Amino acid sequence: MNDTPLSHPALLPAGLRDILPPEAELEARSIEAIMDCFAAHGYERVKPPLLEFEDSLFAGSGAATAEQTFRLMDPDSQRMMGLRADTTPQIARLAATRLSAAPRPLRLAYAGQCLRVRGSDLEPERQIAQAGIELIGEDSATADAEIILTAIEALEAVGLTQLSVDLTVPRLVPDLIDSQLGGASPALTRALDRKDSAAVAAHGGVAAALLGQLLDASGQADRAIPALLGLALPAPAKALVARLAETVAVLRAARPGLQLTVDPVEFRGYQYHTGICMTLFAAGAQAELGRGGRYLGGEAEPATGITLYPDTIIRLAPRPKLRPRLYLPLGTAATAAAAARAQGFATINGLTPLPDPRAEAARLGCSHIFSDGQIVPLA
Amino acid sequence: MSIVLALPKGRILKDAGPLLARAGIFPEADYADESSRRMRFPTNHPGLDVIRVRSFDVATFVAFGAAQIGICGSDVLMEFDYPEVYAPLDLGIGQCRISVAEPKDDAGQTDFTRASRIRVASKYPNMAKKHFAAKGIQAEIVPLNGAMELAPGLGLSRLIVDLVQTGSTLKANGLVETDVIAQVSSRLIVNRIALKTRPDEIGAWIEAFRKALTP
Repeated sequence: MNDTPLSHPALLPAGLRDILPPEAELEARSIEAIMDCFAAHGYERVKPPLLEFEDSLFAGSGAATAEQTFRLMDPDSQRMMGLRADTTPQIARLAATRLSAAPRPLRLAYAGQCLRVRGSDLEPERQIAQAGIELIGEDSATADAEIILTAIEALEAVGLTQLSVDLTVPRLVPDLIDSQLGGASPALTRALDRKDSAAVAAHGGVAAALLGQLLDASGQADRAIPALLGLALPAPAKALVARLAETVAVLRAARPGLQLTVDPVEFRGYQYHTGICMTLFAAGAQAELGRGGRYLGGEAEPATGITLYPDTIIRLAPRPKLRPRLYLPLGTAATAAAAARAQGFATINGLTPLPDPRAEAARLGCSHIFSDGQIVPLA
Repeated sequence: MSIVLALPKGRILKDAGPLLARAGIFPEADYADESSRRMRFPTNHPGLDVIRVRSFDVATFVAFGAAQIGICGSDVLMEFDYPEVYAPLDLGIGQCRISVAEPKDDAGQTDFTRASRIRVASKYPNMAKKHFAAKGIQAEIVPLNGAMELAPGLGLSRLIVDLVQTGSTLKANGLVETDVIAQVSSRLIVNRIALKTRPDEIGAWIEAFRKALTP
Protein backbone atom coordinates (compact mmCIF):
# COMPACT_ATOMS: atom_id res chain seq x y z
CA MET A 1 0.00 0.00 0.00
CA ASN A 2 1.15 3.48 -0.80
CA ASP A 3 1.26 5.54 2.35
CA THR A 4 0.57 8.88 0.67
CA PRO A 5 -1.78 8.09 -2.18
CA LEU A 6 -3.20 11.61 -2.22
CA SER A 7 0.08 13.31 -3.04
CA HIS A 8 0.54 11.91 -6.55
CA PRO A 9 1.44 14.79 -8.90
CA ALA A 10 -1.14 13.68 -11.49
CA LEU A 11 -4.02 13.67 -9.01
CA LEU A 12 -6.46 16.49 -9.62
CA PRO A 13 -9.25 17.70 -7.35
CA ALA A 14 -12.47 15.69 -7.70
CA GLY A 15 -14.45 16.39 -10.84
CA LEU A 16 -11.61 18.10 -12.72
CA ARG A 17 -9.57 16.63 -15.56
CA ASP A 18 -6.87 17.30 -18.11
CA ILE A 19 -8.07 17.07 -21.68
CA LEU A 20 -5.33 15.56 -23.87
CA PRO A 21 -4.75 15.24 -27.61
CA PRO A 22 -6.76 14.64 -29.65
CA GLU A 23 -9.77 15.35 -27.38
CA ALA A 24 -8.76 18.95 -26.70
CA GLU A 25 -8.71 19.73 -30.40
CA LEU A 26 -11.94 17.81 -30.99
CA GLU A 27 -13.55 19.88 -28.25
CA ALA A 28 -12.37 23.18 -29.73
CA ARG A 29 -13.57 22.18 -33.19
CA SER A 30 -16.96 21.02 -32.00
CA ILE A 31 -17.50 24.23 -30.07
CA GLU A 32 -16.53 26.25 -33.16
CA ALA A 33 -18.93 24.23 -35.36
CA ILE A 34 -21.72 24.85 -32.86
CA MET A 35 -20.90 28.56 -32.57
CA ASP A 36 -20.71 28.85 -36.35
CA CYS A 37 -24.23 27.47 -36.63
CA PHE A 38 -25.46 29.92 -33.98
CA ALA A 39 -23.79 32.80 -35.84
CA ALA A 40 -25.38 31.69 -39.11
CA HIS A 41 -28.77 32.05 -37.39
CA GLY A 42 -28.00 35.64 -36.44
CA TYR A 43 -26.88 35.04 -32.84
CA GLU A 44 -24.02 37.42 -32.05
CA ARG A 45 -21.25 36.25 -29.80
CA VAL A 46 -20.55 37.84 -26.43
CA LYS A 47 -17.96 36.98 -23.82
CA PRO A 48 -18.69 37.82 -20.20
CA PRO A 49 -15.87 37.39 -17.67
CA LEU A 50 -15.27 34.21 -15.68
CA LEU A 51 -15.67 36.05 -12.39
CA GLU A 52 -17.96 38.79 -11.26
CA PHE A 53 -19.31 40.25 -8.03
CA GLU A 54 -21.68 37.81 -6.45
CA ASP A 55 -24.49 40.33 -6.06
CA SER A 56 -24.67 40.76 -9.84
CA LEU A 57 -24.05 37.06 -10.52
CA PHE A 58 -26.88 35.99 -8.23
CA ALA A 59 -29.37 38.70 -9.20
CA GLY A 60 -32.65 37.53 -10.74
CA SER A 61 -32.29 34.21 -12.55
CA GLY A 62 -28.79 33.77 -11.10
CA ALA A 63 -30.11 33.18 -7.57
CA ALA A 64 -30.60 29.50 -8.35
CA THR A 65 -26.90 29.01 -9.04
CA ALA A 66 -25.71 30.41 -5.68
CA GLU A 67 -25.23 27.06 -3.96
CA GLN A 68 -23.23 25.70 -6.92
CA THR A 69 -20.90 28.69 -7.17
CA PHE A 70 -17.25 28.83 -6.09
CA ARG A 71 -16.61 32.13 -4.38
CA LEU A 72 -13.47 34.09 -3.71
CA MET A 73 -12.67 37.41 -2.17
CA ASP A 74 -11.46 40.21 -4.43
CA PRO A 75 -8.42 41.51 -2.50
CA ASP A 76 -8.71 44.75 -4.42
CA SER A 77 -12.32 45.78 -3.82
CA GLN A 78 -12.74 43.58 -0.69
CA ARG A 79 -15.98 42.28 -2.18
CA MET A 80 -17.04 38.67 -2.75
CA MET A 81 -16.82 37.41 -6.28
CA GLY A 82 -18.32 34.27 -7.79
CA LEU A 83 -16.96 32.01 -10.54
CA ARG A 84 -19.86 31.46 -12.88
CA ALA A 85 -21.65 28.12 -12.55
CA ASP A 86 -23.91 28.97 -15.50
CA THR A 87 -23.60 31.56 -18.24
CA THR A 88 -27.27 32.46 -18.78
CA PRO A 89 -27.52 34.84 -15.78
CA GLN A 90 -24.51 36.76 -17.11
CA ILE A 91 -26.14 37.12 -20.52
CA ALA A 92 -29.34 38.30 -18.83
CA ARG A 93 -27.28 40.91 -16.98
CA LEU A 94 -25.64 42.06 -20.21
CA ALA A 95 -29.00 42.36 -21.95
CA ALA A 96 -30.44 44.40 -19.08
CA THR A 97 -27.47 46.75 -18.71
CA ARG A 98 -24.87 47.35 -21.41
CA LEU A 99 -27.16 46.09 -24.18
CA SER A 100 -30.40 47.56 -22.82
CA ALA A 101 -30.67 49.92 -25.79
CA ALA A 102 -29.87 47.25 -28.40
CA PRO A 103 -32.88 46.50 -30.61
CA ARG A 104 -35.15 43.62 -29.61
CA PRO A 105 -35.43 40.76 -30.20
CA LEU A 106 -31.79 40.49 -29.17
CA ARG A 107 -29.98 37.32 -30.23
CA LEU A 108 -26.78 36.51 -28.32
CA ALA A 109 -24.47 33.49 -28.30
CA TYR A 110 -21.70 32.43 -25.93
CA ALA A 111 -19.21 29.65 -25.33
CA GLY A 112 -17.09 29.17 -22.24
CA GLN A 113 -16.25 27.15 -19.19
CA CYS A 114 -18.24 27.05 -15.98
CA LEU A 115 -17.37 25.66 -12.57
CA ARG A 116 -19.77 24.12 -10.14
CA VAL A 117 -19.25 23.08 -6.57
CA ARG A 118 -20.75 19.62 -6.97
CA GLY A 119 -21.28 17.23 -9.85
CA SER A 120 -23.96 14.54 -9.89
CA ASP A 121 -23.72 10.74 -9.79
CA LEU A 122 -24.05 10.61 -13.55
CA GLU A 123 -21.96 13.67 -14.37
CA PRO A 124 -19.31 14.12 -11.71
CA GLU A 125 -17.48 16.83 -13.67
CA ARG A 126 -17.15 20.13 -11.85
CA GLN A 127 -15.79 22.07 -14.80
CA ILE A 128 -18.20 22.03 -17.71
CA ALA A 129 -18.13 23.67 -21.11
CA GLN A 130 -21.24 25.53 -22.22
CA ALA A 131 -22.20 26.82 -25.66
CA GLY A 132 -25.53 28.52 -25.87
CA ILE A 133 -27.88 31.11 -27.27
CA GLU A 134 -30.34 33.55 -25.73
CA LEU A 135 -33.27 35.16 -27.52
CA ILE A 136 -34.27 38.20 -25.50
CA GLY A 137 -37.27 40.52 -25.69
CA GLU A 138 -39.77 38.22 -27.35
CA ASP A 139 -42.49 36.09 -25.77
CA SER A 140 -43.95 33.79 -28.39
CA ALA A 141 -44.13 30.16 -29.46
CA THR A 142 -42.09 31.00 -32.55
CA ALA A 143 -39.28 32.24 -30.29
CA ASP A 144 -39.55 29.12 -28.10
CA ALA A 145 -39.33 26.97 -31.22
CA GLU A 146 -36.52 28.99 -32.80
CA ILE A 147 -33.99 28.27 -30.07
CA ILE A 148 -34.83 24.55 -30.15
CA LEU A 149 -34.54 24.35 -33.93
CA THR A 150 -31.27 26.29 -33.88
CA ALA A 151 -29.83 24.01 -31.19
CA ILE A 152 -30.90 20.90 -33.12
CA GLU A 153 -29.18 22.25 -36.22
CA ALA A 154 -26.01 22.92 -34.21
CA LEU A 155 -26.04 19.35 -32.90
CA GLU A 156 -26.49 18.05 -36.43
CA ALA A 157 -23.58 20.23 -37.52
CA VAL A 158 -21.30 18.16 -35.26
CA GLY A 159 -22.73 14.94 -36.67
CA LEU A 160 -25.31 13.94 -34.08
CA THR A 161 -28.48 12.32 -35.37
CA GLN A 162 -31.61 10.73 -33.87
CA LEU A 163 -32.12 13.64 -31.55
CA SER A 164 -34.97 13.83 -29.14
CA VAL A 165 -36.48 16.90 -27.47
CA ASP A 166 -38.33 16.70 -24.18
CA LEU A 167 -40.59 19.69 -23.56
CA THR A 168 -41.92 20.75 -20.23
CA VAL A 169 -43.58 23.64 -18.44
CA PRO A 170 -41.98 23.62 -15.00
CA ARG A 171 -44.36 26.26 -13.56
CA LEU A 172 -47.42 24.19 -14.41
CA VAL A 173 -47.43 21.79 -11.49
CA PRO A 174 -46.19 24.17 -8.75
CA ASP A 175 -48.81 26.77 -9.79
CA LEU A 176 -51.51 24.14 -9.81
CA ILE A 177 -50.50 22.93 -6.37
CA ASP A 178 -50.32 26.46 -4.99
CA SER A 179 -53.79 27.32 -6.24
CA GLN A 180 -55.44 24.05 -5.20
CA LEU A 181 -53.52 23.04 -2.10
CA GLY A 182 -51.88 26.29 -1.03
CA GLY A 183 -48.40 24.80 -1.39
CA ALA A 184 -46.79 21.41 -1.83
CA SER A 185 -45.62 19.15 0.95
CA PRO A 186 -42.10 17.76 0.51
CA ALA A 187 -43.64 14.30 0.16
CA LEU A 188 -45.80 15.43 -2.76
CA THR A 189 -42.96 17.25 -4.50
CA ARG A 190 -40.82 14.13 -4.19
CA ALA A 191 -43.58 11.90 -5.45
CA LEU A 192 -44.14 14.11 -8.49
CA ASP A 193 -40.43 14.33 -9.17
CA ARG A 194 -40.12 10.54 -9.12
CA LYS A 195 -43.32 9.99 -11.11
CA ASP A 196 -44.55 7.83 -8.25
CA SER A 197 -48.25 7.67 -9.08
CA ALA A 198 -49.16 5.83 -5.86
CA ALA A 199 -47.52 8.47 -3.67
CA VAL A 200 -49.02 11.31 -5.73
CA ALA A 201 -52.44 9.80 -5.15
CA ALA A 202 -51.68 9.49 -1.42
CA HIS A 203 -50.28 12.99 -0.89
CA GLY A 204 -52.11 14.94 -3.62
CA GLY A 205 -55.23 15.82 -1.60
CA VAL A 206 -57.89 17.54 -3.72
CA ALA A 207 -55.39 17.89 -6.59
CA ALA A 208 -54.57 14.16 -6.66
CA ALA A 209 -56.85 13.26 -9.58
CA LEU A 210 -55.65 16.13 -11.77
CA LEU A 211 -52.00 15.48 -10.95
CA GLY A 212 -52.52 11.81 -11.80
CA GLN A 213 -53.96 12.82 -15.17
CA LEU A 214 -50.95 15.07 -15.79
CA LEU A 215 -48.61 12.16 -14.99
CA ASP A 216 -50.48 10.02 -17.50
CA ALA A 217 -50.36 12.76 -20.14
CA SER A 218 -46.63 12.46 -20.76
CA GLY A 219 -44.80 10.77 -23.59
CA GLN A 220 -44.84 11.35 -27.34
CA ALA A 221 -46.01 14.90 -28.03
CA ASP A 222 -48.55 13.83 -30.61
CA ARG A 223 -50.42 11.90 -27.92
CA ALA A 224 -49.59 14.05 -24.90
CA ILE A 225 -50.73 17.40 -26.32
CA PRO A 226 -54.33 16.34 -27.08
CA ALA A 227 -54.50 14.69 -23.64
CA LEU A 228 -53.28 17.87 -21.95
CA LEU A 229 -55.63 20.10 -23.92
CA GLY A 230 -58.50 17.87 -22.77
CA LEU A 231 -57.80 18.32 -19.03
CA ALA A 232 -59.94 20.59 -16.86
CA LEU A 233 -57.11 22.92 -15.80
CA PRO A 234 -57.42 26.35 -14.18
CA ALA A 235 -56.95 29.34 -16.52
CA PRO A 236 -53.21 30.09 -15.98
CA ALA A 237 -52.32 26.42 -16.43
CA LYS A 238 -54.53 26.26 -19.53
CA ALA A 239 -52.59 29.17 -21.03
CA LEU A 240 -49.27 27.38 -20.41
CA VAL A 241 -50.58 24.22 -22.05
CA ALA A 242 -51.89 26.23 -25.02
CA ARG A 243 -48.42 27.74 -25.50
CA LEU A 244 -46.91 24.27 -25.30
CA ALA A 245 -49.31 23.04 -27.98
CA GLU A 246 -48.47 26.02 -30.16
CA THR A 247 -44.73 25.43 -29.77
CA VAL A 248 -45.13 21.76 -30.66
CA ALA A 249 -47.09 22.76 -33.77
CA VAL A 250 -44.31 25.13 -34.91
CA LEU A 251 -41.67 22.44 -34.28
CA ARG A 252 -43.71 19.77 -36.07
CA ALA A 253 -44.17 21.97 -39.12
CA ALA A 254 -40.42 22.71 -39.29
CA ARG A 255 -39.14 19.23 -38.38
CA PRO A 256 -41.74 16.53 -39.00
CA GLY A 257 -39.30 13.70 -38.17
CA LEU A 258 -37.94 15.04 -34.88
CA GLN A 259 -38.80 12.98 -31.80
CA LEU A 260 -40.76 15.25 -29.49
CA THR A 261 -41.83 14.20 -26.04
CA VAL A 262 -43.76 16.13 -23.44
CA ASP A 263 -43.42 15.79 -19.69
CA PRO A 264 -45.84 18.17 -17.99
CA VAL A 265 -44.68 17.09 -14.52
CA GLU A 266 -40.96 17.79 -14.97
CA PHE A 267 -39.54 20.64 -12.92
CA ARG A 268 -36.18 19.29 -11.86
CA GLY A 269 -33.31 21.66 -12.58
CA TYR A 270 -35.59 24.43 -13.83
CA GLN A 271 -35.38 26.80 -10.89
CA TYR A 272 -35.94 30.16 -12.51
CA HIS A 273 -37.90 29.24 -15.61
CA THR A 274 -41.32 30.65 -16.34
CA GLY A 275 -42.47 29.12 -19.63
CA ILE A 276 -41.66 26.38 -22.12
CA CYS A 277 -38.47 24.50 -21.22
CA MET A 278 -36.63 21.79 -23.06
CA THR A 279 -34.00 19.09 -22.66
CA LEU A 280 -32.17 17.60 -25.64
CA PHE A 281 -31.20 13.93 -25.83
CA ALA A 282 -29.69 11.58 -28.41
CA ALA A 283 -31.30 8.16 -28.83
CA GLY A 284 -29.54 5.52 -26.78
CA ALA A 285 -27.23 7.90 -24.92
CA GLN A 286 -27.46 8.19 -21.16
CA ALA A 287 -26.85 11.95 -21.11
CA GLU A 288 -28.37 15.35 -21.69
CA LEU A 289 -26.94 17.23 -24.68
CA GLY A 290 -28.43 20.52 -23.63
CA ARG A 291 -31.25 22.20 -21.82
CA GLY A 292 -32.89 25.56 -21.54
CA GLY A 293 -36.13 27.45 -21.44
CA ARG A 294 -38.04 30.62 -20.94
CA TYR A 295 -37.26 32.98 -18.08
CA LEU A 296 -37.64 36.63 -17.10
CA GLY A 297 -34.58 38.79 -17.57
CA GLY A 298 -33.84 42.16 -15.97
CA GLU A 299 -36.89 44.47 -15.67
CA ALA A 300 -39.00 41.32 -16.19
CA GLU A 301 -38.07 41.23 -19.86
CA PRO A 302 -39.21 38.02 -21.56
CA ALA A 303 -36.34 35.83 -22.71
CA THR A 304 -35.57 32.28 -23.66
CA GLY A 305 -32.33 30.40 -24.20
CA ILE A 306 -30.70 27.04 -24.53
CA THR A 307 -27.32 25.75 -23.41
CA LEU A 308 -25.50 22.88 -25.09
CA TYR A 309 -22.94 20.77 -23.23
CA PRO A 310 -19.92 20.25 -25.53
CA ASP A 311 -18.26 17.76 -23.11
CA THR A 312 -21.18 15.38 -23.58
CA ILE A 313 -21.62 16.17 -27.25
CA ILE A 314 -18.01 15.30 -28.07
CA ARG A 315 -18.40 11.95 -26.35
CA LEU A 316 -21.37 11.04 -28.52
CA ALA A 317 -20.63 12.71 -31.85
CA PRO A 318 -18.70 10.94 -34.60
CA ARG A 319 -15.06 12.00 -34.52
CA PRO A 320 -14.19 14.55 -37.14
CA LYS A 321 -11.06 13.75 -39.15
CA LEU A 322 -8.07 15.55 -37.75
CA ARG A 323 -5.08 16.66 -39.87
CA PRO A 324 -2.83 13.78 -41.00
CA ARG A 325 0.63 14.23 -39.48
CA LEU A 326 3.57 14.58 -41.88
CA TYR A 327 7.18 14.20 -40.72
CA LEU A 328 9.63 16.63 -42.38
CA PRO A 329 13.24 15.43 -42.06
CA LEU A 330 15.67 18.19 -41.17
CA GLY A 331 16.48 20.26 -44.25
CA THR A 332 13.06 19.96 -45.98
CA ALA A 333 12.45 23.12 -48.00
CA ALA A 334 10.23 25.68 -46.29
CA THR A 335 8.11 26.03 -49.43
CA ALA A 336 7.42 22.28 -49.51
CA ALA A 337 6.42 22.42 -45.85
CA ALA A 338 4.07 25.33 -46.48
CA ALA A 339 2.54 23.52 -49.47
CA ALA A 340 1.91 20.42 -47.31
CA ARG A 341 0.20 22.50 -44.63
CA ALA A 342 -1.92 24.14 -47.33
CA GLN A 343 -3.00 20.62 -48.36
CA GLY A 344 -4.20 20.01 -44.85
CA PHE A 345 -1.26 18.22 -43.28
CA ALA A 346 0.10 18.95 -39.84
CA THR A 347 3.87 19.17 -40.36
CA ILE A 348 6.27 17.83 -37.76
CA ASN A 349 9.76 19.26 -38.22
CA GLY A 350 12.76 17.04 -37.68
CA LEU A 351 15.08 19.03 -35.46
CA THR A 352 18.24 16.92 -35.79
CA PRO A 353 19.68 14.87 -38.67
CA LEU A 354 18.77 11.20 -38.18
CA PRO A 355 19.94 8.05 -39.96
CA ASP A 356 16.40 6.57 -40.11
CA PRO A 357 13.82 9.35 -40.51
CA ARG A 358 11.04 6.81 -41.23
CA ALA A 359 11.49 5.25 -37.80
CA GLU A 360 11.42 8.70 -36.25
CA ALA A 361 8.22 9.57 -38.12
CA ALA A 362 6.57 6.39 -36.86
CA ARG A 363 7.79 7.04 -33.31
CA LEU A 364 6.16 10.48 -33.35
CA GLY A 365 2.82 9.11 -34.55
CA CYS A 366 3.05 10.49 -38.09
CA SER A 367 1.05 8.94 -40.89
CA HIS A 368 3.20 10.40 -43.68
CA ILE A 369 6.82 11.35 -44.33
CA PHE A 370 8.38 13.82 -46.75
CA SER A 371 10.89 11.83 -48.77
CA ASP A 372 12.62 12.53 -52.11
CA GLY A 373 10.50 15.63 -52.66
CA GLN A 374 7.24 13.76 -52.13
CA ILE A 375 4.66 13.10 -49.41
CA VAL A 376 4.76 9.34 -48.82
CA PRO A 377 2.39 7.42 -46.54
CA LEU A 378 4.14 5.38 -43.85
CA ALA A 379 2.83 1.94 -44.68
CA MET B 1 -31.59 -1.92 -28.81
CA SER B 2 -32.87 -4.28 -26.15
CA ILE B 3 -34.39 -3.32 -22.83
CA VAL B 4 -32.90 -4.69 -19.62
CA LEU B 5 -35.13 -5.37 -16.61
CA ALA B 6 -33.19 -5.60 -13.33
CA LEU B 7 -34.59 -7.89 -10.65
CA PRO B 8 -33.39 -8.15 -7.06
CA LYS B 9 -32.13 -11.43 -5.61
CA GLY B 10 -33.83 -12.74 -2.54
CA ARG B 11 -37.26 -12.29 -1.06
CA ILE B 12 -38.67 -9.91 -3.69
CA LEU B 13 -37.71 -12.21 -6.56
CA LYS B 14 -40.16 -14.91 -5.40
CA ASP B 15 -43.04 -12.44 -5.09
CA ALA B 16 -42.21 -10.90 -8.45
CA GLY B 17 -42.64 -14.19 -10.37
CA PRO B 18 -46.45 -14.17 -10.59
CA LEU B 19 -46.42 -10.45 -11.37
CA LEU B 20 -44.00 -10.94 -14.26
CA ALA B 21 -46.20 -13.73 -15.57
CA ARG B 22 -49.31 -11.51 -15.43
CA ALA B 23 -47.33 -8.81 -17.28
CA GLY B 24 -46.57 -11.40 -19.96
CA ILE B 25 -42.87 -11.69 -19.13
CA PHE B 26 -41.44 -15.21 -18.99
CA PRO B 27 -37.68 -15.22 -18.43
CA GLU B 28 -35.70 -18.42 -18.98
CA ALA B 29 -36.56 -20.75 -16.13
CA ASP B 30 -33.31 -20.66 -14.16
CA TYR B 31 -33.69 -16.92 -13.50
CA ALA B 32 -35.44 -17.74 -10.25
CA ASP B 33 -32.86 -20.35 -9.29
CA GLU B 34 -30.53 -18.49 -6.97
CA SER B 35 -27.92 -21.21 -7.28
CA SER B 36 -27.64 -20.58 -11.02
CA ARG B 37 -24.47 -18.69 -11.83
CA ARG B 38 -25.99 -16.90 -14.78
CA MET B 39 -26.85 -13.25 -14.25
CA ARG B 40 -28.52 -12.30 -17.53
CA PHE B 41 -31.50 -14.17 -18.92
CA PRO B 42 -33.42 -13.81 -22.17
CA THR B 43 -37.21 -13.69 -21.99
CA ASN B 44 -40.07 -14.64 -24.32
CA HIS B 45 -39.74 -11.07 -25.70
CA PRO B 46 -36.73 -10.82 -28.03
CA GLY B 47 -36.20 -7.18 -27.03
CA LEU B 48 -36.29 -7.77 -23.27
CA ASP B 49 -33.61 -9.34 -21.06
CA VAL B 50 -33.71 -9.85 -17.33
CA ILE B 51 -30.71 -9.43 -15.05
CA ARG B 52 -30.54 -10.61 -11.46
CA VAL B 53 -28.49 -8.45 -9.08
CA ARG B 54 -28.40 -7.57 -5.38
CA SER B 55 -31.38 -5.55 -4.28
CA PHE B 56 -29.32 -2.41 -3.57
CA ASP B 57 -27.70 -2.70 -7.00
CA VAL B 58 -31.00 -2.66 -8.90
CA ALA B 59 -31.30 1.07 -8.24
CA THR B 60 -27.70 1.65 -9.30
CA PHE B 61 -28.05 -0.28 -12.57
CA VAL B 62 -31.19 1.69 -13.40
CA ALA B 63 -29.82 5.08 -12.27
CA PHE B 64 -26.83 4.76 -14.57
CA GLY B 65 -28.92 3.45 -17.46
CA ALA B 66 -27.29 0.00 -17.54
CA ALA B 67 -30.82 -1.34 -17.03
CA GLN B 68 -33.81 0.65 -18.22
CA ILE B 69 -36.39 -0.89 -15.88
CA GLY B 70 -36.14 -2.54 -12.50
CA ILE B 71 -38.02 -3.84 -9.51
CA CYS B 72 -36.71 -2.62 -6.23
CA GLY B 73 -37.81 -1.99 -2.66
CA SER B 74 -38.71 1.58 -1.72
CA ASP B 75 -36.15 1.21 1.11
CA VAL B 76 -33.38 1.19 -1.50
CA LEU B 77 -34.87 4.21 -3.29
CA MET B 78 -35.10 6.15 -0.05
CA GLU B 79 -31.55 5.25 0.92
CA PHE B 80 -29.93 6.16 -2.42
CA ASP B 81 -32.27 8.89 -3.62
CA TYR B 82 -30.99 8.75 -7.21
CA PRO B 83 -32.51 11.63 -9.17
CA GLU B 84 -32.21 9.62 -12.39
CA VAL B 85 -34.70 7.01 -11.16
CA TYR B 86 -38.43 7.31 -11.62
CA ALA B 87 -40.68 5.06 -9.56
CA PRO B 88 -44.01 5.13 -11.39
CA LEU B 89 -45.70 2.07 -9.84
CA ASP B 90 -46.13 0.63 -6.38
CA LEU B 91 -46.19 -3.11 -7.07
CA GLY B 92 -47.55 -3.96 -3.63
CA ILE B 93 -45.13 -6.88 -3.18
CA GLY B 94 -42.26 -7.29 -0.73
CA GLN B 95 -44.11 -5.37 1.93
CA CYS B 96 -42.28 -4.63 5.15
CA ARG B 97 -41.05 -1.62 7.09
CA ILE B 98 -37.86 0.10 8.13
CA SER B 99 -37.77 0.35 11.86
CA VAL B 100 -35.65 1.26 14.82
CA ALA B 101 -35.13 -1.60 17.25
CA GLU B 102 -33.32 -1.94 20.55
CA PRO B 103 -32.76 -4.60 23.21
CA LYS B 104 -35.99 -5.51 25.00
CA ASP B 105 -34.52 -4.73 28.39
CA ASP B 106 -33.35 -1.24 27.37
CA ALA B 107 -36.54 -0.17 25.61
CA GLY B 108 -38.04 2.90 27.20
CA GLN B 109 -35.07 3.29 29.56
CA THR B 110 -33.34 6.08 27.65
CA ASP B 111 -34.63 9.60 27.28
CA PHE B 112 -33.55 10.22 23.69
CA THR B 113 -34.43 13.90 23.87
CA ARG B 114 -31.35 14.34 26.10
CA ALA B 115 -28.97 12.51 23.72
CA SER B 116 -26.62 14.37 21.35
CA ARG B 117 -25.31 11.28 19.66
CA ILE B 118 -26.27 7.68 19.36
CA ARG B 119 -24.58 4.68 17.81
CA VAL B 120 -26.72 2.86 15.28
CA ALA B 121 -25.94 -0.31 13.31
CA SER B 122 -27.56 -0.25 9.89
CA LYS B 123 -27.21 -0.87 6.19
CA TYR B 124 -29.26 2.29 5.67
CA PRO B 125 -26.81 4.98 6.84
CA ASN B 126 -28.54 7.85 5.04
CA MET B 127 -32.02 7.01 6.25
CA ALA B 128 -30.85 6.34 9.78
CA LYS B 129 -28.93 9.62 9.94
CA LYS B 130 -31.88 11.56 8.56
CA HIS B 131 -34.31 9.95 10.96
CA PHE B 132 -32.26 10.83 14.02
CA ALA B 133 -31.21 14.25 12.70
CA ALA B 134 -34.90 15.16 12.57
CA LYS B 135 -34.95 14.49 16.32
CA GLY B 136 -31.83 16.57 16.86
CA ILE B 137 -29.56 13.55 17.37
CA GLN B 138 -26.38 12.73 15.44
CA ALA B 139 -26.47 9.08 14.48
CA GLU B 140 -23.03 7.46 14.38
CA ILE B 141 -23.49 4.67 11.90
CA VAL B 142 -21.85 1.28 12.27
CA PRO B 143 -22.12 -0.03 8.73
CA LEU B 144 -23.25 -3.66 8.59
CA ASN B 145 -24.69 -5.67 5.74
CA GLY B 146 -26.36 -8.39 7.74
CA ALA B 147 -26.81 -9.88 11.20
CA MET B 148 -27.70 -6.41 12.43
CA GLU B 149 -29.63 -7.99 15.29
CA LEU B 150 -26.37 -9.07 16.92
CA ALA B 151 -25.00 -5.56 17.17
CA PRO B 152 -26.66 -4.23 20.35
CA GLY B 153 -26.08 -7.43 22.32
CA LEU B 154 -22.39 -7.46 21.49
CA GLY B 155 -21.92 -3.80 22.30
CA LEU B 156 -21.47 -2.68 18.71
CA SER B 157 -24.32 -0.20 18.84
CA ARG B 158 -27.13 1.01 21.07
CA LEU B 159 -29.83 0.62 18.37
CA ILE B 160 -30.34 -0.88 14.96
CA VAL B 161 -32.23 0.41 11.95
CA ASP B 162 -33.31 -2.43 9.70
CA LEU B 163 -36.04 -3.99 7.60
CA VAL B 164 -38.73 -5.68 9.62
CA GLN B 165 -41.16 -8.05 7.98
CA THR B 166 -42.75 -10.18 10.71
CA GLY B 167 -40.58 -9.15 13.62
CA SER B 168 -39.64 -12.73 14.44
CA THR B 169 -35.89 -12.20 13.86
CA LEU B 170 -35.95 -9.25 16.23
CA LYS B 171 -37.82 -11.27 18.83
CA ALA B 172 -35.48 -14.24 18.52
CA ASN B 173 -32.57 -11.92 19.27
CA GLY B 174 -34.13 -10.14 22.20
CA LEU B 175 -34.93 -6.91 20.38
CA VAL B 176 -38.12 -4.88 20.18
CA GLU B 177 -39.27 -2.48 17.49
CA THR B 178 -39.53 1.02 18.96
CA ASP B 179 -40.13 3.27 15.98
CA VAL B 180 -41.22 2.82 12.37
CA ILE B 181 -39.27 5.02 9.95
CA ALA B 182 -41.11 4.09 6.77
CA GLN B 183 -43.38 1.50 5.22
CA VAL B 184 -41.68 -0.36 2.39
CA SER B 185 -43.00 -2.02 -0.73
CA SER B 186 -41.48 -2.87 -4.08
CA ARG B 187 -41.65 -0.36 -6.89
CA LEU B 188 -41.32 -0.56 -10.62
CA ILE B 189 -38.50 1.83 -11.42
CA VAL B 190 -37.38 3.25 -14.75
CA ASN B 191 -34.42 5.27 -15.90
CA ARG B 192 -35.36 8.90 -16.50
CA ILE B 193 -33.56 9.37 -19.80
CA ALA B 194 -34.75 6.00 -21.14
CA LEU B 195 -38.35 7.01 -20.42
CA LYS B 196 -37.83 10.31 -22.19
CA THR B 197 -36.02 9.00 -25.25
CA ARG B 198 -37.95 5.71 -25.65
CA PRO B 199 -41.36 6.70 -24.33
CA ASP B 200 -43.33 4.16 -26.36
CA GLU B 201 -41.34 1.05 -25.41
CA ILE B 202 -40.81 1.94 -21.76
CA GLY B 203 -44.35 3.29 -21.47
CA ALA B 204 -45.69 -0.01 -22.81
CA TRP B 205 -43.85 -1.97 -20.10
CA ILE B 206 -45.10 0.36 -17.38
CA GLU B 207 -48.60 -0.16 -18.75
CA ALA B 208 -48.10 -3.95 -18.79
CA PHE B 209 -47.15 -3.89 -15.09
CA ARG B 210 -50.01 -1.53 -14.27
CA LYS B 211 -52.46 -3.98 -15.85
CA ALA B 212 -50.79 -6.88 -14.05
CA LEU B 213 -51.58 -5.16 -10.74
CA THR B 214 -55.33 -5.15 -11.34
CA PRO B 215 -56.25 -8.66 -12.44
